Amino acid sequence: MNNAIEIRGLVKAYPGFQLGPLDLTVPRGAIYGLIGPNGAGKTTAIDMIFGMGSNDAGQIRVLGLDHRSDEVLLKRRAAYVSPDLSFQVWGKVGKTIRFVRGFYPGWDDAYCGALMKAFHLSDSDRVATLSFGARTKLSLLLALARRPEVLILDEPTTGLDAVSRQQVFSELLKAVEDGERTVLISSHGLSDIERFADHVGMIRSGKLLLEGRTDEVVDRYRLAEFFTADGATLQSPEPEGLIILKWNENRWHALLDRNSGALNWLETNGAQQISLTRVTLEELFVALAKEEEGEGA
Amino acid sequence: MTHERQSWLIGPISAAAGGTLYQQIVDRLKREVSEGRLKPGAALPSFRHLAEELLVSVITVKRAYEELEREGIIFRRQGLGTFVAEQGHDRSCEAKVAAAKDLLREGFREAAEAGLKPAEMFDLAREILKEKKAL
Repeated sequence: MNNAIEIRGLVKAYPGFQLGPLDLTVPRGAIYGLIGPNGAGKTTAIDMIFGMGSNDAGQIRVLGLDHRSDEVLLKRRAAYVSPDLSFQVWGKVGKTIRFVRGFYPGWDDAYCGALMKAFHLSDSDRVATLSFGARTKLSLLLALARRPEVLILDEPTTGLDAVSRQQVFSELLKAVEDGERTVLISSHGLSDIERFADHVGMIRSGKLLLEGRTDEVVDRYRLAEFFTADGATLQSPEPEGLIILKWNENRWHALLDRNSGALNWLETNGAQQISLTRVTLEELFVALAKEEEGEGA
Repeated sequence: MTHERQSWLIGPISAAAGGTLYQQIVDRLKREVSEGRLKPGAALPSFRHLAEELLVSVITVKRAYEELEREGIIFRRQGLGTFVAEQGHDRSCEAKVAAAKDLLREGFREAAEAGLKPAEMFDLAREILKEKKAL
C-alpha cells in the first residue's frame, strides 16, 4: 500500500457550500501540502478524515483503514493537530505531557525530550503563559512524540515567526526520515510548502484543482508575456490552460499551462514575442485564485 | 539534538540564489566532486537525511540525486546507499567546462553588443585572469 491517505468522491454539503466530490491521494512517506483560498474546504476535508463531522458520500481510507468502521485503530495510528487545541487546564507543560502520554503505548520519551529541546519548551513552563508560537509547538510535540504513522496538521504555522516555522519544518522532515511516516499539512505559507512539501494539492470552491509532486506542479505552469498587433484583441474565449492576468493596450500577461494546447493556441491566434517565465507556487496560487474570482479576462 | 549528525557540508541552498533548489543541489555536489572534496567511492547521505540537513523537501534531493546519477557522477546500490562514481570527478569537470563555455559565450555576446572587437575581448579575458582574486 503506497498511499497513506486516499479520499475518493468525498462530499459534504452545507447550506451555501459544498465540499467535493473530492479525490485526494497522499503518498506514504511524503509531506503533503494542502493549499487553497480561505473557505475552500481544507479544514472541512481534514476534519472529516479524523471523524469530525460525517460525510454525505464518498470514502476516506487512512493506512488502508476506513475512517468510519476502523475509527479506533485509525486514531491510534494517526494524529491530528488543530489550531484550536488547548491544554491550559493542565497547568504546566510537564503535567500536560505526562497526562497525554498515558493514552499512547507508542509514546517515545527520548524523542519527546529531543523535541522539548528543539522547541525550547520546559516541564516547568506554564501552558497559560506560553507564547502563541510555543503553544503551537506544544501541540505539535504532543502529536509527534506519539510517533504516529500519519500526522495531520491544520495550519500549524499560522502566526509563527520565521525561526519557529523553520524549527517546525525541520522536525517534520525528521519525522518523515524513515520513509514510513506521512504528514498532511494545510497552510497558507506557500513558500514553506514549496520548499518543504513533496506533494501538493490545491482545493478551490470545494474541488481539487491540481495535485501532484510539488516540483512538477510548479514546473507545469509559466507566466507568459506576449503582444498583439496594434488594436487587435485576443480571440475569445481563451482556451483551457490560459488565464489572462492583465493587459495594457497590446501587451498581455497570462498564466499558461504547458500541458494544455494554450501555447500553440497563442501562436496561431496572433500573439507575438511570447516569452515564458517560471512561477513560484505563490504566483501560481494567486493566478488560479484570480480565475475563480472572474478577475481575469 | 539526539539525532546523530554527519558532518556534511555543501554550500547553502537558497530560494534567493539562481536556479531551482534541486539545480542548486546538483551544482553544489558537482563542485564538491570536481574539487576533490568528495572522492570516488565516498558515500553520500540518504536523500531523506540530506533533505533534513538542507531543509528542503525529500523530493527535491531525490530529483538532484537522480540527475547526478544520470550524468554518471554518482551511483546507487540497492540497500547500501549512494556513492560517488569512479568517473565522477571527470564527469563533474566535463559538466563544469560545459557550463564555463556557456558563461563565456554569454560574456562575449555582451561584449560584442557593447561594440568590442575580438582582440579587445581577449584583452578583457587576460585582464580578468590576472585578477587572481576573482578566481
